[in-house]
Amino acid sequence: MKPSGRLKLVSGVRDLQIVDCDDIHCGIVDDIELEGKPGGALRVKALLVGPGGYRDRLPRWWMALVRLVAGEEVVRIPWSEVESISSVVRLASPGSKLGLCRGEDKARRLLPRSRAGR
Amino acid sequence: MKPTELFLGILTAVGGFVDVSELVFMSQAGSRFGYALIWVVVLSTIGIMVFGEMSGRVAAIAKQPVFNLMRHRLGLRLGLVTLIASFISNMITCAAEIGGVALVLQLLTGAPYPLMALAATLAFIATVWLLPFKWIERTYGLLGLFMLVFGAALVAIHPPWREIAGGLVPQVPKGLPTRDLVAYAYFAVALLSAVMFPYETYFYSSGAIEDEWSEKDLGTNRLTTTVGFGLGALLAIALLASAAQLFGPAGISPELIGTVAQQAAVPFGKVGLLLALLGMLFAIGGAAIETCLANAYSLGQFFGWRWGRHCRPEEAPRFTLTWNAVFAGSLVIVLTGVEPIQLAEYAVVAAILVLPLTYLPLLLLAGDKTYMRAHANGPVAKILGWGFFALITIAAIAALPLFLITSGGQL
Repeated sequence: MKPSGRLKLVSGVRDLQIVDCDDIHCGIVDDIELEGKPGGALRVKALLVGPGGYRDRLPRWWMALVRLVAGEEVVRIPWSEVESISSVVRLASPGSKLGLCRGEDKARRLLPRSRAGR
Repeated sequence: MKPTELFLGILTAVGGFVDVSELVFMSQAGSRFGYALIWVVVLSTIGIMVFGEMSGRVAAIAKQPVFNLMRHRLGLRLGLVTLIASFISNMITCAAEIGGVALVLQLLTGAPYPLMALAATLAFIATVWLLPFKWIERTYGLLGLFMLVFGAALVAIHPPWREIAGGLVPQVPKGLPTRDLVAYAYFAVALLSAVMFPYETYFYSSGAIEDEWSEKDLGTNRLTTTVGFGLGALLAIALLASAAQLFGPAGISPELIGTVAQQAAVPFGKVGLLLALLGMLFAIGGAAIETCLANAYSLGQFFGWRWGRHCRPEEAPRFTLTWNAVFAGSLVIVLTGVEPIQLAEYAVVAAILVLPLTYLPLLLLAGDKTYMRAHANGPVAKILGWGFFALITIAAIAALPLFLITSGGQL
């Protein structure tokens, strides 16, 4: 599905996995930012990623807990960066360039360097 | 897939089928109610076959692991509730498994229980850190096959096969006082939960994605879930039937891991005991790793992190930190001194509460032709899926009251 076509935002985009151009998982569509004027066309402006994106979706006391555990950072991904939408939202750029990999970078600093894996 | 790979996959599923909760509940159910609960084991095995197959198929075709689906289908609020509940349930289960392994090690070596719990946890961390995913599965699954000694032990004690076959028929034992009937209902729900533990589906579907399953792996998926789980269930039934034959008449309630192992010692002596303990060590150890990774998979998928053991630890750092933290947290629970058997009982009740929320999104997606194309649920899968969904929902509603009324089956 192309981002320029007709979309069901709540059932078809929100809460989907985001994958960047290098096939790296870099978050979930936590909410969607719209723009428009009364009587005018409504357009998608950006995808919101991060616990701050829960603000309008959770009761206040839940949000207080989320803030306590995970903070309320939110990253805005311009809609123009969305390349396609299927069972995942695919981005045209690397997630790191859009500010999506900060959590992974912070966690990486806590790990010992290892040659293990795969 | 090569026949040898398929064969090893099925054997791995057999060896990995039984965990500490099944060991405990099968033996206690057999000791207390004879063969009358065998039908519940069969029914719940069909349930885990249905949902296991579905989760593998969804992973192979839609490339969607369970927690991605859950969030997308249930939404953020209900998804978060399920995530938190399943995280707690898996953590308690992981602690029960670590405690179970520590008890087996204590029996084998005579070393103190806390020390063995620490050693087991360190060994698990090293295993997950160093071994590739397939080898983690294979090592514990195949060495867990020592548990087959319980099947041989059942044959060796010449059980009444006709009565065992009678247990396959759904029944409510006649002539039992009300308190025993309530306990029977509790054990039925507990066995259903122990066989259909949600972590098994999280782990299985995430494993399918780790192994990069595609349409060509659907046959393997079907065989692993039917033959592998089916043979695993025979092992579970052997535990139940053997306990019914050996412990029931003597009035023994097998509440210790060592007592369960005695089932193999009766016909085969020390060798049987050793094989039983080794089988339990690896089967429970494998389950400890599965529950821990299931939690890391759940968090990774829910929040969209990079996840999986196909990545190097530094390539999926939040996932790596999570599974290390789950092992550490579970060890802390064990070191508080709570009995592993008690933890297993809590885990089983917590798990059944999560089951409907786990399986609903799976059912919805497996039936969605947009994602699943020609591999969407057919009429049989739909009837079985929704039938079992109704069953686990009823069991989930009944679980907590039954647990409280019977004091965890002690009534």
